Amino acid sequence: MTTIRDVPLNCPEATYVEPVYKEAGMRNFTNLVRTMLNDYGVYHVQFNTINKETLIDAKAHPENYPTLMVRVAGYSVYWTDIAERVQDDIINRTEHTF
Amino acid sequence: MSHTPAAGAALGNELRAGTVAKVGSTKRIQELNGMLHANRPNVDITRARAYTKVYKETEGLPSIMRRYKASAEVYRTLSDVVYDHEQLVGWPTKRIRGANFAIELHAHWLADDLPNLRDRTYDPFEITDEDYKELEEELLPYWKDKTMAVQWGHYVSQEEWNRGQFGGISDVSNYLCANGSHFIPAWTDVIRYGFVKYYEEAKALLAGLNPNDPASIDKRIFYNGIIEVLEAIRDWGERLSASCARKAAEEKDSVRKKELEDMAAMMKRVPWGPATSFHDACETAWAVCFFLFVEGAGPSITWGRFDQYMYPYYKADVEKGILTPEGAMELIEELYVRVTSNVWFQSTQMAYIFGGYYRYPHLDVGGLDENGKDATNELSYLCLRAMRYAKTTSPAVCLMLHQKTPDSLLYEACELAAEGMGHPSFFNCEGLYEMLAHRAAGPDGYSNYTRKEILKYGSPIGCVEPGAEGLQYGHTDSGIINVAGAALMAVTNGVMPIESDNMFAGKLLTFETGAPESFETFDQFYEAVKAQIKYAIDEAHANLLVCEKLLAEQFNLPTFTVLLEGALEKAVDATAGGAKVNIGPTMQMVGFGTMVDSVAAIKKVVFQEKEATLREVCDACMNNFRGYEDLRTKLQAAPKYGNDDDFADDIAVDLWKWFADCTVGLKMYRGHYCDAAIQMVQSNVGYGAMTGATPNGRLAGMPISDTMSATQQADTHGPTAAARSYGKLDFPAYTNGTLLNMWISQSELLEKS
Repeated sequence: MTTIRDVPLNCPEATYVEPVYKEAGMRNFTNLVRTMLNDYGVYHVQFNTINKETLIDAKAHPENYPTLMVRVAGYSVYWTDIAERVQDDIINRTEHTF
Repeated sequence: MSHTPAAGAALGNELRAGTVAKVGSTKRIQELNGMLHANRPNVDITRARAYTKVYKETEGLPSIMRRYKASAEVYRTLSDVVYDHEQLVGWPTKRIRGANFAIELHAHWLADDLPNLRDRTYDPFEITDEDYKELEEELLPYWKDKTMAVQWGHYVSQEEWNRGQFGGISDVSNYLCANGSHFIPAWTDVIRYGFVKYYEEAKALLAGLNPNDPASIDKRIFYNGIIEVLEAIRDWGERLSASCARKAAEEKDSVRKKELEDMAAMMKRVPWGPATSFHDACETAWAVCFFLFVEGAGPSITWGRFDQYMYPYYKADVEKGILTPEGAMELIEELYVRVTSNVWFQSTQMAYIFGGYYRYPHLDVGGLDENGKDATNELSYLCLRAMRYAKTTSPAVCLMLHQKTPDSLLYEACELAAEGMGHPSFFNCEGLYEMLAHRAAGPDGYSNYTRKEILKYGSPIGCVEPGAEGLQYGHTDSGIINVAGAALMAVTNGVMPIESDNMFAGKLLTFETGAPESFETFDQFYEAVKAQIKYAIDEAHANLLVCEKLLAEQFNLPTFTVLLEGALEKAVDATAGGAKVNIGPTMQMVGFGTMVDSVAAIKKVVFQEKEATLREVCDACMNNFRGYEDLRTKLQAAPKYGNDDDFADDIAVDLWKWFADCTVGLKMYRGHYCDAAIQMVQSNVGYGAMTGATPNGRLAGMPISDTMSATQQADTHGPTAAARSYGKLDFPAYTNGTLLNMWISQSELLEKS
């Protein structure tokens, strides 16, 4: 099977720019998912990956973050579409580092 | 330019209007995305008008006949608008980002709250002056005393009606106004054969009825109703085809003209008949999805195993040379934009708890095939990659992860996760398969699914609920048990503290399990916690039984029924048990971490260290810890769930399993058993507001813990320790699924841009 990871897509009009990944961080991340789900038997997990300081800034200056999305639960939502108290709850969750 | 902090959603809608959201892999997708965000969420009254017309014309006729006729009338009156740039056809509403809401579920509150709808804090909606007037003068007066919630009120006391919606511990409000949701229709079948298959089947079954058999009486009404609905779907395709043809005739650009002509031809083929290409298959996937979103009223019609049932069309088209991976991805991105347009209309009280407009159709990739082999294919990657380009809130894309899933697909998924949009979610397939094997089957029972069906059709629905394509029906967002509140009730002898945004603040909310002094041992207190939770479960269960009866008798869903294997032959509507596997309503925990930490803190501080009495803890909670700051510090210092500490985790493991055991023994209205779940999302904020201070040191009104996650800021030992705590729990016992939020920041994963 040849996938788009072997033969890159040709999208000359695209707005998306691929970021540069931290190799060790991505390895830790994929290992965490594998271990939790396939070894520990955890049924489901989803991640917020926006830096906490970004969310704090987005709460103060929503005009700079019109399309910022966050995971609330089983769905993603625009940061600016959720109530302030929900924003606070998300900011107050535990931000983990490896 | 200065802005006040975000006030509900009004500001976000204002900010995104214009060009900021014009993203996508092609100019076409960028334009469609721009169009999406140029529109604010708005109310559409097409469905309400169709229902009102039919119900007024059919007074006295059998309930199912009225309901099916109303569904057909909706299809006959749906918008036929075709916009520039689109390759797929048909919209659920007259305007983009509309909600064609279910008046028969919402009229009772909307009749009072219509004047606030445009400006309410959570989820404001636009509405034209003309539609406003029609709603106010004609539509709402007809329905306001006929809704599901009003009828439920005839079966319960006023106090039960209030507790079930505004008490914040045993809540069924979600179930009262979201009929028809959490469903994976028979995608493989409807894409391959089209609706014409069900039409011919219904015609044949009707012709075969024996009028001398008493069972034929209701079946005749059923089949005639189904046939009318299907004819309306066929006519909708014809209307949209004509609309594309008209637009083609007016089009000057020859490339676009050809596209529109092709779309006109496509709408003559699908969704009525078999899909002949990947493009056709995408059209059926879109049309069926929004048909169900309009007929039902809930948040999740699910695409399920999209990469599996779409793959034959993709492969054939690529081999024929008429489709490229880029072309397929563009169609997938268009599906993402279109489904995001489909906002959720909720009551003001529901928006207070669940607001944000989101609906969550699931789209799943990966997993195993029916023979147990890894099912990953090229489309699995494209569906994940499309979300990086389209950047839409819907659908909830997810990876079904198995030991056999290739690392490269997991990397593709983790790279998407690193983008920060919250996509995708990750599911453990083995857990899903085990849950489905026991779904709604009672203590130690087995469901009606075969292993092959589970492997081939099983996937999550909604947030996390195990489902199976075309085989299962039951809306799973149902009884919500605020266990943090229930644990507090064990301390306060059933009284909700004054400091809470709760209709029962300062009053007896549940029942008396004993004054704080009466507990001599931890075990006695622990039994009181369980008794309070059990009380809440039993109350929700009793309320849900009434709801189920009402749904089955009056709120039928013909399009859902058609897309359930075997339901036509049985002539039983989805709401009445037409599915092969009937499930729900289910019982969902919220505030698990807060409950565990509260019980652990009392065990440690009151019963082990004896640093305070339970009376003092009660008084502290009643006074929101004013004057009890030292006690609060001690309670906060006790062991917490999420740190791989068995003191707290043992309590978590025990209460987790105990809740599931209580739940799975409950018999539901349609004859199957209840399922346990822990997933009621964001509601931790609303229910937190309704809950007084809790013994883990949480102040009144603050959010309780979300889903099954550790309490906010309580998991201080890193992601591995948190994962080890979670790994101690018995997941398959939660046959309606579990949801876990974790936060790993981009700075761990990405170089600074």
